[in-house]
Amino acid sequence: MTAIARTWGRLTLPGKVVFTLVPILAALTVGLIAVIAIFGGAIWDILLANLGIVRFVIAVTIILLVTIPIAFLNIYLEMKVIALMNLRVGPDRVGPWGSLLSVVHGLKVLMKEDFTPTGADAVVFTWAPVVTYGAAVMTVLVLPFAPGLIAQDFNIGLLYFFAVGGMGVVGLLMAGWASFNKYSLLGGLRSAAQIISYEIPLTLSVVGLLILAGTMSLNGIVEQQSGWFTDWFVFRQPLGFLIFFIAATAEGNRTPFDLTEADSEIVAGFATEYSGMRFGFFFFAEYVNVFILSALAVVLFFGGWNAPFPFPAISIPIDLAAIGLPLLFLIALVPPIATLIFAAPFYLMRSSMRWWVALIVGFVLFNVVAGGLVFAWAFVSFDWVAGLVWFLAKTFGFVFVFVWMRGTLPRVRIDQLMGFAWKWLLPAALLNLFVTAAAVVVVGS
Amino acid sequence: MTAPSRTGPQPSADDPRVMLDRDIGVFEPVPPYPPRTEREAEFYTLGDGQMLLNMGPQHPSTHGVLRVVLKLDGEKVVDLDPVLGYLHRGVEKLCENADYHQVISQVDPLEYISSLFCEWSPVIAFEKLLDVDVPRRAEYIRVLSGELNRIASHALFMGWFALDLGGLTPILWSFIERDEIVEMLAALTGQRMLFNYFRIGGVNGDLNHEFMSRLGDWMSRATKQIESNLTLLNQNEIFVRRARGLGVIDTAGALRMCMTGPNLRATGVPFDVRRAHPYSVYPELDFDVPTRTEGDSLARYLLRMEEIKQSIRIIDQCLHQMPDGPIMAKLPRLLRPRPGRAYAAIEGPRGQYSTYAISDGTDQPFRMRIHDPSFIHLQSVGVLMQNNLIADTMAIMASLDPVMGGVDK
Repeated sequence: MTAIARTWGRLTLPGKVVFTLVPILAALTVGLIAVIAIFGGAIWDILLANLGIVRFVIAVTIILLVTIPIAFLNIYLEMKVIALMNLRVGPDRVGPWGSLLSVVHGLKVLMKEDFTPTGADAVVFTWAPVVTYGAAVMTVLVLPFAPGLIAQDFNIGLLYFFAVGGMGVVGLLMAGWASFNKYSLLGGLRSAAQIISYEIPLTLSVVGLLILAGTMSLNGIVEQQSGWFTDWFVFRQPLGFLIFFIAATAEGNRTPFDLTEADSEIVAGFATEYSGMRFGFFFFAEYVNVFILSALAVVLFFGGWNAPFPFPAISIPIDLAAIGLPLLFLIALVPPIATLIFAAPFYLMRSSMRWWVALIVGFVLFNVVAGGLVFAWAFVSFDWVAGLVWFLAKTFGFVFVFVWMRGTLPRVRIDQLMGFAWKWLLPAALLNLFVTAAAVVVVGS
Repeated sequence: MTAPSRTGPQPSADDPRVMLDRDIGVFEPVPPYPPRTEREAEFYTLGDGQMLLNMGPQHPSTHGVLRVVLKLDGEKVVDLDPVLGYLHRGVEKLCENADYHQVISQVDPLEYISSLFCEWSPVIAFEKLLDVDVPRRAEYIRVLSGELNRIASHALFMGWFALDLGGLTPILWSFIERDEIVEMLAALTGQRMLFNYFRIGGVNGDLNHEFMSRLGDWMSRATKQIESNLTLLNQNEIFVRRARGLGVIDTAGALRMCMTGPNLRATGVPFDVRRAHPYSVYPELDFDVPTRTEGDSLARYLLRMEEIKQSIRIIDQCLHQMPDGPIMAKLPRLLRPRPGRAYAAIEGPRGQYSTYAISDGTDQPFRMRIHDPSFIHLQSVGVLMQNNLIADTMAIMASLDPVMGGVDK
């Protein structure tokens, strides 16, 4: 016993952790295997019986995970595009063209001290970013990414979207109140005033669209816009789209309506006292919000995953089984031969290039070409791939517009902001609604 | 309020409950001492629903280390108390303990955005004390480099002003302009920021090839480039709407507040030291004194942009009329002016920058008083900011264009 105790005492802290965890994990793995071996059939039956729940859990997990690369991509896009507008180079150190900088940003934020200021309400202070981020992520649940690629097709999807999306302001208010800082308080109250005011024109602007569409399911709205791009709702509801876009900018706290974190006025608004990963969650939530609002604009007004024109149906029948045994030779031989073929011109034309550099170039080129071919085949063969591509292309187009606005416009003042919402947007949204309703009554839907 | 006992577990300093038991007055910008003046007592007495907000000295948009305590009612600024002196170095005293040549490098960092003007006015004052004639070529070089520096300062103003209104891009665009000018001045003077170029009786070095080639290159596209920068803001509805009617001051108020320079000219008074009390070779040069009548932030902004164009005109004339000749007057190495007093005012980018120097016959100035327009303009902040929103406080201050180095001296 003493020998074990002495050995244990010599271990460093990480060693102790590892030597504790390994047996526990081994036991759990063995137990899991045993459980599956004994009750496997029963578990399978239960899962099959509750397929809806299983599908929901998997979809929610995927959504939670997918928001992180989306936020990274948005941050990178913002840094790079604004840099180009400012006539700067922007990030160019980490990864090709600085594309990994946002990942490094994420790691940096994780490693920073997570600081709670003196006098802050620690519980509320901690939970505020969770609420904001949760609200942002939960709205992704009803977004139709592609035909069949939707986490949950609610029949009240749009209502759910606005209801849950509006919950983010609770987190901002919590952050502003709990930080024990006057700048934070001002930022939190500004966000409450701003988001509640703009929620009204935002919701009213799509009511006209709902009258036309006759459904609140986002999937249903997208399906009604199939065909040519002239069928998109933006051409039937131009005023509605304009109001929606302006209100969405305010909803997402983006320039020119970024009063909640106006750095030249109230330092960083509600996020003044935040550091580390809690700040990171606010940061992520903002960029996920940009994506979500862009996606909603695309879904409602720009045809969602529909292509702008109906594609001629092309089918490339590839029956791999028909090739038979030569398939094995193909898989074994095509990559090295193609790599050599792609590498040859580089090696032969440029005497300064070493043979292994040429081989690496050839390998990368082969991967690019093969990936492109596979992508093209998938694009024409599977409608969900094509849909996803169209959806993401349109959405990031809108993200670009948001970034563009940030690079160009100054910030409005709080009274101008509120006046604009109540004096212009709200009457315009009501007008849009009445005109649409009258047109539906007169013309017939 | 009792101190935690020394025995037993000590509460962590990070535990918010511990700190909340203590006096939280430390978070309030209330001075710990009893009020010294009636004004202070009135300011630090809060009315119903009012709040004090401490802005600065470390705030992203105070121009340097200015601290402003705002008394707020909601978002509205009811009253404010600017607190100066965070950058005080006692430059005037330093100048009194330096000989006349060394003064130039002491006053350089006052208005660090337009250092040449900080040098210019003491140099003129000392020349008056010494009764020296400055060579005409040196005067032309002074005007040329000074006007370049004025453009750099005004270009930077455009960026700062837009940044305080929330625009990201103009500051970087205007820095391009400033950087080109600063680079060419660096070729002329050897420094990018604190030039230390003017000398009593002339300038430090003649125009050189690199400076002239950079200047020619820049002059060929300056007007177009500045115009394209201005389109970013002048046609921006949000910018114009925010700046118009912001921080309005009328002519009488501006005169009472001792405003000079663009801030005064924006209220309709065509007072420009270059025309009113001409110095150097300005009487030989042809340029307009632009004025506007609105007296708001937009007028101040547009007026400065107009001045950039006038400065380009002046530079053009300087290049055409530049005479040959020496760049320094013949002077002894150790200057001992006869006892007397001299006052010299020049038109800096921010207004009348003047120096009052007294000589007692030794090689050091007996007293040197520097009148800095930034400091004078900052006193009107109290009048202009009241009853505006927090968002506008910094924009109003930016529109007055103070440099805290000159304010605190």
